[in-house]
Amino acid sequence: MAHAIAPVPGSTTMELALKIWRYNAETGAKELRRYEVEAPDWATLLDVLDIVKDKHDGTLAYRKSCRMMICGSCGMRMDGAAVLACKTRMWDIAQSGHEPVISPMGNLPVVKDLVVDMSPFWGKIRAVKPWLEPGYDEVAEKERIVSQQQMNVIHKEALCIMCGCCVSECNSMESDPEFLGPAALAKGFRFVGDARDQTAPERLSDLNSEHGIWDCTRCYFCNERCPKGVDPRDAIAKLGAESIKEGIDHDMGAKHAKWFVTSAKTTGWLRETELVPKTQGIVSAIKQTKFALGLAKRGKVPPPVPPHVADRVKESRALYNLVKEQGRDGALGIVQGEHALGRIEFTEEAGVRELAPELQPGVEPPHAEG
Amino acid sequence: MEAKHDVLVIGAGCAGMRAAIEAHDAGADVALLSKIHPVRSHSGAAEGGINAALGNASDDSPEEHAFDTVKGSDYLGDQDAIQILCDEAPDDVYQLENWGAVFSRTEDGRIAQRPFGAAGEPRTAYAADITGHVLVHVLYEQVMKRDIPTYEEYFAWRLVMNDDRCQGVIAWDLLHGGLKSIGAKTVILATGGAGRLYVGTTNAYACTGDGMAMALRVGVALKDMEMMQFHPTTLAPTGVLITEGCRGEGAYLLNSENDRFLKRYAPNAMELASRDVISRAEQTEIDEGRGVEGNVLLDLRHLGADRILERLHGTRELSMTFAGVDPIYEPIPVRPGAHYHMGGVDADVWGQTSVTGLYAAGECACVSVHGANRLGGNALMETITFGKRAGRHAADWALSHTTVEVPRSTETDAARDLKQLLERTEGERPWSIRDELATTMHENFGVFRREEQMQEQGEIVARLRERYERVVVDDKGDVFNSDLTQALELGFLLELADCMVVSGIARKESRGAHARPDDFPSRDDEHYMKHTIVRVEDDRPQLEWRDVTMTKWQPQERKY
Ligand SMILES: Cc1cc2nc3c(=O)[nH]c(=O)nc-3n(C[C@H](O)[C@H](O)[C@H](O)COP(=O)(O)OP(=O)(O)OC[C@H]3O[C@@H](n4cnc5c(N)ncnc54)[C@H](O)[C@@H]3O)c2cc1C
Ligand code: SF4
Ligand code: SF4
Ligand code: FES
Repeated sequence: MAHAIAPVPGSTTMELALKIWRYNAETGAKELRRYEVEAPDWATLLDVLDIVKDKHDGTLAYRKSCRMMICGSCGMRMDGAAVLACKTRMWDIAQSGHEPVISPMGNLPVVKDLVVDMSPFWGKIRAVKPWLEPGYDEVAEKERIVSQQQMNVIHKEALCIMCGCCVSECNSMESDPEFLGPAALAKGFRFVGDARDQTAPERLSDLNSEHGIWDCTRCYFCNERCPKGVDPRDAIAKLGAESIKEGIDHDMGAKHAKWFVTSAKTTGWLRETELVPKTQGIVSAIKQTKFALGLAKRGKVPPPVPPHVADRVKESRALYNLVKEQGRDGALGIVQGEHALGRIEFTEEAGVRELAPELQPGVEPPHAEG
Repeated sequence: MEAKHDVLVIGAGCAGMRAAIEAHDAGADVALLSKIHPVRSHSGAAEGGINAALGNASDDSPEEHAFDTVKGSDYLGDQDAIQILCDEAPDDVYQLENWGAVFSRTEDGRIAQRPFGAAGEPRTAYAADITGHVLVHVLYEQVMKRDIPTYEEYFAWRLVMNDDRCQGVIAWDLLHGGLKSIGAKTVILATGGAGRLYVGTTNAYACTGDGMAMALRVGVALKDMEMMQFHPTTLAPTGVLITEGCRGEGAYLLNSENDRFLKRYAPNAMELASRDVISRAEQTEIDEGRGVEGNVLLDLRHLGADRILERLHGTRELSMTFAGVDPIYEPIPVRPGAHYHMGGVDADVWGQTSVTGLYAAGECACVSVHGANRLGGNALMETITFGKRAGRHAADWALSHTTVEVPRSTETDAARDLKQLLERTEGERPWSIRDELATTMHENFGVFRREEQMQEQGEIVARLRERYERVVVDDKGDVFNSDLTQALELGFLLELADCMVVSGIARKESRGAHARPDDFPSRDDEHYMKHTIVRVEDDRPQLEWRDVTMTKWQPQERKY
């Protein structure tokens, strides 16, 4: 996000064109339709869709409600990547003359136009028993005593708005639709990491079974696409760390995880190609190759040689540190989330400062009044 | 009739979900019905917190909470209801914590509480700056745990009246299309606010006052509808809320002359004066030509990048996304925006309306605990405490009564009316009516109310209602026809606007959110310490007055 690029809000308008994948549920017809609209300078993708619906075609279907990035209604894809429509400003795109393609989220059945069926999503959320199990039925007389530091453990996961953007982009979900997926696993961690929950071992055991945490291919697309900085992949890593700590590490994945840490530290990008043979031996590596190639074809994994070194080594180091800090002591750690993301973006843009220190455990995140 | 239940809760925000959980735990067969998924409800947008006299940050008591609320309401709140709210609030908050709400904590691990406008003690419990979000999610977790059936993306349209009782609802099934009638022994309305009546509002697209209008259509009265609270710092042009925390951190409000104009309105408190004072000051500046394209400027620059990134990150993200303004370098354009409807469905302290079997809770109801002016943090508390009470009463009533019947004629009438709307091909699309309503309400029934503007607004609304008679829906399909539901929402909004204008004209005084600077600049307890009560008879709003319930607090001047 660059600063100081836009005019005073409302002072001018912009012309832009966009293409929307229309899907008619009743006939099954699919069509990519182009719309040209005039929009106020401040318009987001959601505002532009509203203009299309009001003035061009009332049959266009999409979900919306809060228009302030908190209700999670408006997940969809722009040029193939999941976004919240209400978080996506159109000014720069309009100025560049690019015509974005808008389509529904991936990995979920399309109902109509940009509306997907969220029931598989919610089914997986339900599967992680997403409620606190305090181990007693009667309500305590007062609140339970928990430190801010303990609460911070699940701060990021508690930010999740259940928009589905991560699920839309999840690699594993594409090959295994049964995979619990990033949002449900982040929700899982929200309870595993909650000091008030009495069932962490049972939860971890469930999350370690088939379609659980070790099915994640660590592609990091969930982290990248999450509009709220939940970083579901980090939650999965934390679940992995907790599992190892609890001795629930019979699965291949635990070994995998150790290699991941090394890999991320040295190259700045998860080297899938190196990772697979190191953990599973040559024979099973061959079986996996097909899968990896499939990913490479869609541009999702760097090609096998030479080893890809990501541009953002620094960011990956931060990630490594995150995992390291959680270590075998469990997940008690860093509050990162949106605040840190904003800070990273700001420092990158301005190019003036080193990464500002993260919020420290025990320090309460900033708050506001409504 | 598609299905029937003991209790049907329409709306699944904090109020609706809390009601459903209570009814379930009381042994009733309860279902939720909502036009958007429960966690998408606008309760999730509340940032600041929820008020209860837990006494974790100071010596506090429900008594003090009640006094602050009575005074804050500008003596239009019913004191018996306020006492109940404040007495039950602490246990209700502990309950939320026990269910798993991720509250921020004190040093000694208790629920943290901080000061909030017009509260004598630090009483607002909070979860960072996402309190509403945390509450919506914890309540939905409990709904999932109890496996409470939920009619998701069902748009409630008409209440079913039979035998002088409300016995269910007729709703449009968004995902599959078609009208569905769902019978219930008791129905709880928890449909939230109606901020969409205004162009600049902090409310979501879903906040269209549906429940208030549905109640009105079956003869239930609406109370204190003129009382719409304006928040002083909403982002131009969309109305997204910019937190009071900015001013707490030391931000300035400037006019076009680069002048901290509050020195002329609130020389001591300056930017920290109360919401209504600042909203009125801003509007005066704008009206007198010292605004910047209809806004004033919220200047954070002197706070420095570090402080902004550290403490006001969310605000920075909102203003960059929605106004293209980075507050590190530029001031944020803000103006007063419609924020909270104190008025709503006339309900008693158990949520009961005048129709047997029909209840209301949350922002759509008017019990009334907020009177003419709501205190920050009291709305969420109201959704929980009165949601719970309505759920309890509705369940008890349902469990002691047996029959449910949706008359065939109600179903066929609804189907016929809807068909008529869908088959219309000549006429106007709803959006121009919607935009005109929202702009004119902002101009003529906004922060300040002036006799001739209110009269004019009455006429405008009447003309818009006429145009609405010929409104055309583009989408004729069954699957996710939001074109249809948005048209129905507009119908609800228009009826509410009518009631607001009628009540506003009748209240010839200034009290709380109702400010008449020209003709009646002060509060008149002798004549107007009364609720406005509006019913629709022969298609026209009819007004009555009802005394405020007083227990022990005599009116004083509201000065801070
Ligand atoms: C930006 C913002 C910040 C706020 N901050 C605070 C704060 O810090 N503290 C505080 O106390 N209060 C705050 N408030 C006020 C408070 O959040 C609301 O008053 C409260 O959450 C309303 O809750 P509710 O359950 O009544 O309604 P909502 O949460 O709005 O829920 C309404 C429900 O009704 C459903 N519905 C509506 N119409 C229909 C229909 N026709 N058919 C089916 N379903 C329908 C919706 O789908 C939704 O589920 C804030 C408000 C806003 C807008
Ligand atoms: S990192 Fe794992 S959970 Fe996240 S998108 Fe990739 S495969 Fe899915
Ligand atoms: S983790 Fe992020 S992307 Fe995934 S559902 Fe939650 S908020 Fe959306
Ligand atoms: S509309 Fe609520 S997140 Fe976009």
